[in-house]
Amino acid sequence: MAQIVPPTPVLDIARGIASLDEDIPRVLAFLGKTAIEELGWRRLNKSSLIVPIQGTLNGVIENYVLRLGFAAYRKWPPSAQFVNPDTLAYAHPVDQHHLPILTSPECHMHPNYAAANGKTLQLICCSATQEFYDTAHPVEPNLIWSGQNTFYTTVAAIQKAMASFYGGRFAKL
Amino acid sequence: MAIEENRTNSRSLDEAVEHLEEAEVHLEHAREDEAKAEREVKEAIHEIEEASQRDEVDVHVIHVNELEKATFKEKIHATLQQVWDKSYKELKLERKPKDVFQTAGAQPKSLMGHLQLTLEQARDRKVIENFHFGIASETGGA
Repeated sequence: MAQIVPPTPVLDIARGIASLDEDIPRVLAFLGKTAIEELGWRRLNKSSLIVPIQGTLNGVIENYVLRLGFAAYRKWPPSAQFVNPDTLAYAHPVDQHHLPILTSPECHMHPNYAAANGKTLQLICCSATQEFYDTAHPVEPNLIWSGQNTFYTTVAAIQKAMASFYGGRFAKL
Repeated sequence: MAIEENRTNSRSLDEAVEHLEEAEVHLEHAREDEAKAEREVKEAIHEIEEASQRDEVDVHVIHVNELEKATFKEKIHATLQQVWDKSYKELKLERKPKDVFQTAGAQPKSLMGHLQLTLEQARDRKVIENFHFGIASETGGA
């Protein structure tokens, strides 16, 4: 199917926070939990959620920290960035080793992606992340984020890639 | 003459009573046979139900995008494709063209290359660890 370049996300932080407030209880109920802490998640601030992610390669378990941002949510997917667990931020190249190598056709990790529109950033190349649209990435129309989705779609897509397309940790530079 | 007639009537009555008693014995046997047959039918039905239940497992399915979940019984000999198809009915959701079938849990794995396996085969070949499944819409990226 022919690919198109979707429009760039428009930020609406108040709406993003309200949508996150609305979706957390839905996701918790779905997962059979009563608090995000039971999942190891943490709400860093009103518009950010921290989600631990694990990868296993050759029996070695590695821990990563995924930071979700909700500035354009839910019309657009959450921003998704793997971050330094100490700073909860990402700076290339010093934090590159805090990123998992992901080579899934549905979810590919670029530590320092140079987009056609001139932006350079960490890109979890997956149509369930805001950065995918920020970088004007082409995509099949029927794979574009739906406003009916929740942030759990993003978490699940990344977890799925970690299960089958994880290649270890990026080298420390 | 009258005495002779009375004797004949008496014999006929005795014979009739004897026949009745024989018939009652037969009826009792027939009832016993019927009760036995009914017990056997019940036992056979119970055996069938037990055998059928032995072949069934509880399947748990979630839809990641819709945040819906369902549990239903399925034959161990059903294929993953059949389980996937039935899941939509149980979830009361419509299939979307980009949906994929996968395992559930924190690290879901795609089952799209194994849809012809039965639940039993998938379990025995370690394709699945349990009967918890997920449906998710494919994402784009590279």
